[in-house]
This record gives sequence, C-alpha cells and structure tokens, in this order.
Amino acid sequence: MKFKDYYAALELERDADGDAIKKAYRRLARRTHPDVAKEPGAEERFKEISEAYQTLSDPEKRQAYDDLGRHRSGEEFSPPPDWESRFWREGNRQGSQPGSQPAGQEVDLADLFEQMGFGGSGGFAGSGGFGGTGGFGQQAGGFPVRGQDLEVIAELTLEQAAQGSEVAFTLSVPSCRADGGMTREPRSGTIRVPRGVADGERLRVPGRGGPGHGGGPAGDLFLEIRLKPHPRFRPLGHDLYLELPIAPWEAALGAEIELPTLTGTARVSVRPGMRNGQKLRLAGKGLPRRKEGAGDLYGVIQIVMPEQIGDRERELYRELAEASAFNPRPSFEGAPTHG
Amino acid sequence: MADDPLIPTDDDDSPVALEELLVASGLAHEEVSELIQFGVFQLAGSGISWCFHARTITLARRAARLRDDFGLNTPGMALALTYLERIEALEARLQELECQLPR
Repeated sequence: MKFKDYYAALELERDADGDAIKKAYRRLARRTHPDVAKEPGAEERFKEISEAYQTLSDPEKRQAYDDLGRHRSGEEFSPPPDWESRFWREGNRQGSQPGSQPAGQEVDLADLFEQMGFGGSGGFAGSGGFGGTGGFGQQAGGFPVRGQDLEVIAELTLEQAAQGSEVAFTLSVPSCRADGGMTREPRSGTIRVPRGVADGERLRVPGRGGPGHGGGPAGDLFLEIRLKPHPRFRPLGHDLYLELPIAPWEAALGAEIELPTLTGTARVSVRPGMRNGQKLRLAGKGLPRRKEGAGDLYGVIQIVMPEQIGDRERELYRELAEASAFNPRPSFEGAPTHG
Repeated sequence: MADDPLIPTDDDDSPVALEELLVASGLAHEEVSELIQFGVFQLAGSGISWCFHARTITLARRAARLRDDFGLNTPGMALALTYLERIEALEARLQELECQLPR
C-alpha cells in the first residue's frame, strides 16, 4: 500500500487541532473545487484535499491514520501488526486484511478509511465525484444502492467534432472484491460521440456509470466535451472564427480571396473599403449541428502591413499621401465634447 | 458501448422527470423544491408532474457537489449557482470577443 501524507495535503503540521483542519480544508477547497477553479491540476488537488479531510476530520480515523506512522508520500508500507484489531469493528472487513490483498490488486489508503465503521464523519463527505471518486461510501447492508456516476472529459479536435468520433477513456473505479474488501479497478471503454457537439457541452449516458449494489441500478456516465485548440479556427458554439489577413490595397480596392474552411476552401469577395475587425460570414461553413444544418464561418478582417517595403512601394505611398485628403483623426480636432 | 444513447444535457427536447433528477443528482425533493422557489431551477411545461429542462441535471449535480463539499444550505447553493452561471455567461462573452481579436 502506498502512503499518502494527509497533513501535507492540507498544508498542516501533525499537531493541528480539529478547528485548524476544518479551516485548512475550507480554504483549500474554495481555491481548488472543480466547480469554482478552472486551473489545470485543480481537480486533482481537490481530490487530495477532500480525501485528507475525510480522514483527518474524524477523530477516530485520524488516530488510526496517525498510528500508521510517518512515511514519505508514495512510499510502500504495511500497517503495524495490531493496527487492524485496534481500529476495525467486528464484521466491517469480513476477514480481509489491509495488507493481504491479492497480488496485483492495489489497495488505496482512501478506500481503506472509507470502509472503517466509525460512524458519521462530519457532514463534508465528498459525494459528487469528478472522474470517478467518492459516492461509494454507503455500500454495506444489502439494501439497493445506485452505482456511482462517472465523469469523463472527452477531448476532440474540431475535425472529430464535425465528423463524430470514437473516444477512448480510462477511469479508476472503486469496486467490491468477493471477500468484501475494496479495490480500485481501471475501467476503460470507448464511446461514440456523435457529430454536432460543441465545446463545453455535456452529455449523459444513462446506466453506463458504475454498477449498482444489492440490486440497485447502475449510475450514469457524464461526458464533457472539450475541443482542442486548432491552429486556424476558433470555435464559438457551432460557429468558427478565422483571422483573415488582407493587404492595405486589398482593403481599399477589394479582392477575391480563397480562404480555408474545415473541409476544404471557399472563395470570398472582400468589398472595397473594408476596415479592421469587420467580419465576412460564410453561412453553413461552421461546425455541423446535431440535428441539421451547421454554424457559420466568420472571417475577421485584419489589415496587415508588410514588415519591409521597397523603394517603389515607398514612392507610391508618398504619392498616395499627397493625393489623399483623408483625415484618420477627426476626433482629435477641436475641444472634446461629452455626450 | 458504441450504440448507447447520448443525451445532451442542454437539449430542451429531452425533458427530465423529477424522479430522474433526484436520482442523477443526489439532491433531496425538498432541496429541489426550494431551488425552484429561488428561481435557480425552472420547470419545463405546466403539467401536473414536475418536469425539467435537460440542463437542470448539470445544475443539480453541481448544487449537490457544492452542498457536500462546502456544507452549503439551499440558499447558499442558490447563490453559488447564480454566480457561477453569471461567470460562465461572462466567460462566453469574453470568448466571443477574443475570437474577433488578432492572435
């Protein structure tokens, strides 16, 4: 079994009192909770924090944890010989020993503490379960318990979203062994994501979550769609945005331009007199929608200047400057007026 | 698994019954009722039995997580959900504007 340093997870000293543990949990949970924090790694950090809190906030579990001794995080260790007899209630483990799991089946410290029959643990037990954590605390007793809901993030390219795609996933799911003990098993599968999904969309597959217990129904599988950044297109719902660079003379005179779409190319006419930021819309060239039709493709005009210009170009610009009566800064003239 | 039905949770054509919402979220009947009163959950249609827009499942699961992980009561859940919705709307607007800026 691998050791986890619950005090370090909560950024606490080992002599911290119950109040300090609660404060540390609340402070860290507020910063890392998956519904609040969007930073990479926040979700994993939140799992560590809630796991640590669930054990340290319960005085008996904390005592049991402290009696495991000090080890480095990730270090392989075995509980002291009399540890189980001191902390397990009769009947809770149904004969299996923490160190006696069959070879190849990893026992997780969190699962071990979750199984301990120490009564209520203070109202904060995480149950929602991102990526297949929690939600498994009430397994004993023979009454029907619904299986765990699983959450999977499916990362797709724009092309995959447009065409539909098979997505593979792997989760670590807690499950009961035949001897009543608990283990984590990798659960992998594939799911067919239909065409027409958009970034941030959530899909539900009823009955494809963790298995139920005691005749209870299976949980659901929740899929969150994330579109990978594309070198060219930026998605917004089912619309796609494309930066469309044009030369100053194309902006002034108009042009026929071939621009890339998700599936090929399209020719568009740029009207004379285009300004920066103006959009050209190509109807139906965005991402396909679920039922019918597709979003639009927008080309956003960016007038770009050549980094270097030749003598002839400079001469023409001078000629243009002399010939033109255009004033780009009329707003600078006179006293400013409000409203 | 390839042929399982995927139900979009933002599709108003796939309404969710109260019982399904309770099971999928872990919220209690009383909590759902209060969240309707706060205006966070909206009923779909006006039938005798309660029915919700599919996206309510996402909201309800989030509410249950906030309740369990922060010990929030129903007014707290309603407030947090309202702010999170507002943040998401602002993020969507920001994304829309960023799409139109040069990289």
